[in-house]
Amino acid sequence: MSTTTTPARKELTAEQIWTVQPGERRSVGVIHIVITALLIGIGFVVGSFGSISFPLGFGVNFFWTGIAVQQVGSIWFGLWGVIAGTIFPFFSNAIAGTPFYISAAYIPANFVQAFLPAWAFRYFKADPRLRSGRDYFILLIAMIVSSAFGALWSPLVVLRGFGLLTTESVPLFVWGWFGGNVVAGIVFNFILLKALSGVVIRTPAFVKRWWA
Amino acid sequence: MNKTMLGYVPKESPIYAVHPFVKLYFLLIVSLFPMFVAAPEWNFLLLVFILALMVISRVDIRIVRIYIPVAISMGSIILISYTILGGRHPEFQVIFNLFGLPIYWERVRDAMVVYFRILPMIATMVFFLSTSRERDIIVAMRTIRLPFVVTYVFAMALRSAGMVLEDFQIVRQAEQARGFDPTGKPLTYKIRKYIMYMIPLFALSLRRSEEFTNALVARGYAFTGEASHVKRADYVLTHYTFKTHDAIFTTLITLAFIALLIARYGLHYFSLDHSWFIQWLHAVLS
Repeated sequence: MSTTTTPARKELTAEQIWTVQPGERRSVGVIHIVITALLIGIGFVVGSFGSISFPLGFGVNFFWTGIAVQQVGSIWFGLWGVIAGTIFPFFSNAIAGTPFYISAAYIPANFVQAFLPAWAFRYFKADPRLRSGRDYFILLIAMIVSSAFGALWSPLVVLRGFGLLTTESVPLFVWGWFGGNVVAGIVFNFILLKALSGVVIRTPAFVKRWWA
Repeated sequence: MNKTMLGYVPKESPIYAVHPFVKLYFLLIVSLFPMFVAAPEWNFLLLVFILALMVISRVDIRIVRIYIPVAISMGSIILISYTILGGRHPEFQVIFNLFGLPIYWERVRDAMVVYFRILPMIATMVFFLSTSRERDIIVAMRTIRLPFVVTYVFAMALRSAGMVLEDFQIVRQAEQARGFDPTGKPLTYKIRKYIMYMIPLFALSLRRSEEFTNALVARGYAFTGEASHVKRADYVLTHYTFKTHDAIFTTLITLAFIALLIARYGLHYFSLDHSWFIQWLHAVLS
């Protein structure tokens, strides 16, 4: 009796995930535009949950669920995810009552929070499927450093700049922003990457370099 | 009232006769006004003016009630930040002691100034969200000649937010059907289990991205290369014309802003020294 077996799909290494293979053609396509829009949509809904449920004030939250879309999206979809991660807080903050120009002033913080994990995974060739302790470590450090930047920028530059806080109350907002992002990141980012990266890296939407 | 992705808008309203660009321009310019005004009474007047515009626009004022907790929480944070967390300043005037903590007049005054700056900014945002349908925002973006792809991404993002909400309900019902019941469970449990919604939501969105792309490609949409240079018919703009009254409103907003700048920096109006409210508050608290 003969049996037919399906050949097992070759497992990609972390190096291969981020390297364009010989003969492989990658270009910007409609799917990247679509994925940006979808990430803004998911981020809007998920981010609003955090903005409305756990507010500290002026768009700062104790537990900001939007960080998952911001960081996981940028790891998978490169600068498309970064663009989405920079834009969607505008909407989620707006419906939570944050004034327009305060949301606008948060743009650098949101950009760095989205960009840094994407850069770290590409630069250090970390596996988005989180196969080793090194991958977990890189993600954790990227989350901490990017959230630290956001936590310093937003209260110190934005809220102090608008005169909304006194120097003495800045630490509450710095820790609120930092803790709200890092705790939510720990809860969501690891599981999302672990659960879905294996599928995402094989889709045409996955971005190996920055744009494609 | 009609539900939009960003809020509730009236079914019929005189504001719909105004071009969407004017509403966007109002949001962008009038949000700046409180930054140049220190005297709280003027910012309060601006707040009343925006609320009056909402009434004229037939916005259901019950919508504003949704934002009252936001306004109260922001007010409380500002007041606590300036008074209780404001530190000790021997050079300031103590108006009373709260459990041994000195509350300074200068801190209370600054908290009031900041709070009355934030309120009209929130009101301007609420006014925009309560009078602009999704299509209005897209028309405003097309009017200021933003590239087609930017407008398209925005429109798709709003559409996909609606789909994500639908997906969220579907996933929730599916999990309830399998026996998941977070009722009465602590908040930490609910937060941890929130991931059970996130994974299916992401997975569904990835699948949808391929469906969306196939539909767009089949219709000949392209955002790069030769095909993207084809001039598109701005169908949505054919429904909106920029009329004389829109030009008048735009000019009035611009002139009001210029007048504000002249009054603030040329004539030194709107400062705390000229504020009767601050003088009255000082007399009451001292």
